Amino acid sequence: MITKNAFGRLCRARDMLRETHDDRLSVEAVARAAGVSRFHFIRLFGAMFGETPHQFRIRARLDRAKHLLAISDDSVTDVCMEVGCASLGSFSDLFARRVGVPPSVYRQRVRSIMTAPRSLPAELTPGCLTLMGAAFAISEKQSSALLSDSVAAREDS
Amino acid sequence: MRIKLNSIMVDNQDKALKFYTEVFGFVKKYEIPVGEFRWLTVVSPDGPDDLELSLEPNANPAGKTFQEAIFKQGIPATAFEVDDMDAECKRLRGLGVVFTQEPTRMGPVTIAVCADTCGNLIQLYSKHS
Repeated sequence: MITKNAFGRLCRARDMLRETHDDRLSVEAVARAAGVSRFHFIRLFGAMFGETPHQFRIRARLDRAKHLLAISDDSVTDVCMEVGCASLGSFSDLFARRVGVPPSVYRQRVRSIMTAPRSLPAELTPGCLTLMGAAFAISEKQSSALLSDSVAAREDS
Repeated sequence: MRIKLNSIMVDNQDKALKFYTEVFGFVKKYEIPVGEFRWLTVVSPDGPDDLELSLEPNANPAGKTFQEAIFKQGIPATAFEVDDMDAECKRLRGLGVVFTQEPTRMGPVTIAVCADTCGNLIQLYSKHS
């Protein structure tokens, strides 16, 4: 059981990890601000949020980078600095590894499906249950494609 | 008109599927890719097996803001019923789950609150006969 105070401090620690865009802020310093040892902080953070403080910070940075690449005109270098990464090379590598494409390609892709400038396309911000309709439409299309494939295969033989 | 579907926002669908199946013990029903997300639902093996819970990505900034705000206020995003509260809490604790409220009797129910590791607090409740 976590006390109300400890819970509040943990929430603030999470905000701190996300909002401080400074590479020099160590997990140790965040733990100290939360009033617990580094070891205890990492353990508690994981049990509460399902990842380590370090993993959380990386995910938060990439999320913010994706957002900035989509809606701002900042250069990739500016985005890299803005999210608190000192090295453009390692930022681009990390981005490509996690997102699947380099930052510049990600930007082009998002821009190509944007319907209005500076507003995220609906595909990237599914509103709750809108996914359901899309999912069943896709799976129906796939199963009818499979069906017509098998009919075609039978007709061929 | 029937209620057969409920949904909860999660910060990562992979993490959520793992937690909701391996820790809470639900069973995956649908997993259909939609762009970079999935239509992902689970059901309870204790039934009813046609009542689904959708694990929705919190990718919409409006959803994320709401989710974080109620989390910080200590408000559960949803509630699940359990038969034996003490046994269930003991089982979950053994799996590393953190509680923000110990089982507390409130009239005809006992409630407890825990974290789902995906950005939500979950209320567990058992009814007294």
